[in-house]
Amino acid sequence: MPQREGYLMIDNRASPGIRPEDVPDARFSCVGEGQLFEARVFTCSHCQAQMIENKARKRARAFCFGCGKYICDTCEAVRVNAGGGCRPFAAIIDKAMAKGAIRALTMLKQTLGELHG
Amino acid sequence: MAKRSFSVATWTPTAVGDAANFTASGYQALQGGGSSSFMNVLEIFMGGQAGASSPTFMTLARDSTVGASTTALTTGQKDAALSPFTAALSAAPVAFVGASTEPQRSSTLGLLNLSFNAFGGIVRWVAAPGEEIGMYGASASLGEVSLSAYTGGTPGLMGSHIIYEPF
Repeated sequence: MPQREGYLMIDNRASPGIRPEDVPDARFSCVGEGQLFEARVFTCSHCQAQMIENKARKRARAFCFGCGKYICDTCEAVRVNAGGGCRPFAAIIDKAMAKGAIRALTMLKQTLGELHG
Repeated sequence: MAKRSFSVATWTPTAVGDAANFTASGYQALQGGGSSSFMNVLEIFMGGQAGASSPTFMTLARDSTVGASTTALTTGQKDAALSPFTAALSAAPVAFVGASTEPQRSSTLGLLNLSFNAFGGIVRWVAAPGEEIGMYGASASLGEVSLSAYTGGTPGLMGSHIIYEPF
């Protein structure tokens, strides 16, 4: 599997599939009766939404040069509105982990303080 | 680090809108084992088992309300390590399909839309290496993800698994 590309398969070859009129909104894909859908999937580096590759897309796919990865159109809009800053999901996790570590250290300090007076 | 599979052999998802309580046994959810636990979701598979046409709008999303007092898995619902050398984690992740306080799907943090027809349809999603869906902690909204049916269609019987890796 190529780097950065996930894989999505929806196999309705032995199924009535999904008709356009069945779909609640445009977010859901329509794979009709007897159809096999296979696509590359990209992960948005900023929110981790999974983006199915649209081969008919003419516009450039959003790419963040801060983290060097693909991002979704929503995060691209946020990024451009914010002046082009990069805020990858990994940084959010790092921040949460750092907060957790600080909290754990504070608790440890408090516990040690209680134990040692 | 050890991959695990959370599988449910046969179940019918209950269609629920965003930010509404799930119905017990009508969803699959994964929650972190503690406030500092980190997990990756690697793969999702769903195989339709319905006996008649069943447009089923499955979605994987983060939960804005996480499950509390979760119910233990029962017959046909399994959470097993993939490697025989897997050591038990001090804070094991929680795989569940029911809870006293049922989870709610986030209205903004959707991750995957996996609509298919459960009458013979098959869906498989695999994350790219290094691009897996991450989870952190055990609280909303990063600490829990769920596989559930979105409003609409006629959710049908299926079997499914989620492969994930707690750290």
